[in-house]
Amino acid sequence: MSIAALRLPITSTQRARILLSAAFVAVVVILFATGTLPARRWEPFLVPTTWTFFLGGMRETLYMGVTALVASVLIGLPLGILRADLRGPLRILVVLWVELVRATPILAIILIVFFGLARAGINLSGTTAAIVALAVYNSAVLGEIVRAGIGSIARGEVEASRSLGLSYPQTMRYVVLPQALSRMTPAIVSQLITLIKDTSLAFIVGGTVELVSTGRSFFVYYGNVMETYIVLALLFFSINYPLSRLSRRLEARRPAEQRLIVTGEEDQLATATAAIPGAMPRQVTGTER
Amino acid sequence: MPNLALQPLLENADVFVVGFRNTLFLSVVGMAGALVLGTFVASLRVWGGPFLSGLGTAYVEFFRNTPLLVQLFFFAVLLAPANLGVTRDPVLVGAIALSLYTGAYVTEVIRSGVLSVDPRQLEAARSLGLSQVQSLRYVMLPQAIRTVIPPLGNISIAHVKNTAIASGIAAVEILKAASIVETRTAAFEAFYLALVLFWSLTIPLAFLVSRLERRFAFAR
Repeated sequence: MSIAALRLPITSTQRARILLSAAFVAVVVILFATGTLPARRWEPFLVPTTWTFFLGGMRETLYMGVTALVASVLIGLPLGILRADLRGPLRILVVLWVELVRATPILAIILIVFFGLARAGINLSGTTAAIVALAVYNSAVLGEIVRAGIGSIARGEVEASRSLGLSYPQTMRYVVLPQALSRMTPAIVSQLITLIKDTSLAFIVGGTVELVSTGRSFFVYYGNVMETYIVLALLFFSINYPLSRLSRRLEARRPAEQRLIVTGEEDQLATATAAIPGAMPRQVTGTER
Repeated sequence: MPNLALQPLLENADVFVVGFRNTLFLSVVGMAGALVLGTFVASLRVWGGPFLSGLGTAYVEFFRNTPLLVQLFFFAVLLAPANLGVTRDPVLVGAIALSLYTGAYVTEVIRSGVLSVDPRQLEAARSLGLSQVQSLRYVMLPQAIRTVIPPLGNISIAHVKNTAIASGIAAVEILKAASIVETRTAAFEAFYLALVLFWSLTIPLAFLVSRLERRFAFAR
């Protein structure tokens, strides 16, 4: 254990080793599973129609994730602005809503949206209910991201723009939001990773055709449970790993004072800690104005 | 406010007690496992040499970028009597899978906590005559702990919420308990009780974490 080893520079050879060992792990896992189960259970994956089937599931997963993200940004933007700049009882309501939603497991929200609305006579399909529930939860998270983004803009800029005669909406529109949005992009990308993983939770209401449900109906037919889950995990990985690399690259490009961290969300934390080798980012939780 | 049917909930209080206990088990045991695993993998990533650190990276990236639900399903089958024969208890499987999932996030936090201490401080400590262990214990640890505590608090909030996903493998935690009671009595209020029970864990935890964040906020 040498002190010099504390700072491992990432060289191309090391990257190669990392990739190699990742491949090694994958091979070990696959060998392990085939050791416990016969190789014929991998055979269904050689049929081309299997992949058109799984691609359909991937498309649905991406559709659900992206739709929920767009809805969350649209709802989260006003929530974040209200929480950052509002005074009085309405602000308390917004804070209460955001904090309660973020303290709730997403699976519980999905169940309540699906069965609750069904009791009220509104019958949503499993997919729609899941998208609505994901948007409810993630709009609260996006609200926090927006608040942290607005809070990270130097107060002097707002004061300068106000004293130059711009109204509050104009200040927001032309000074604060353009900068805040660009600082928020890494956080939004890593929220998309969370969303794509969370589309799998739609299984609980049934009747969906996203990737996990697709896989489940696949192994019910072929009886290759473990193999299918390995393939599902690899498919999710193939979507999310590039996204997490992108998010980290976007984050690492920014100077430290422009990095946001949203508390309580594991993927947000992961981006923030991984982006800066050697330092934990400052916790920007949106300063009060 | 609509009339709340509390009677069916009281009659099935035992189900909720089991659910709450299992959620606590998944939270505490799962998080403890994640801390042990995360510390171990983080030390591999920092001091383990190219191969072991590469293995650590592969673990972190794989578990972080795949859904917890898929991991739970996989381990439920893998550990079942038909395969490895470790256990068929869904709560135990849940605790193991949650440890592995959360452990990936803990690894990243602990690693960046260790790397946040300037290596020149350790060199200085060594040249002042402290042993390797002493310089880690008295120079690195006190600083790394300060950096690491607030994000670990945040991870544990996310972990408690993630325990609900263990209901996917039929572990009777709070949400599954609510579903059981709702099916049995048709009282939708069961889900509201589940919310309150989850909040009783996550909201105090969130308060604690925001206090710790303020306490440990410092300029480096």
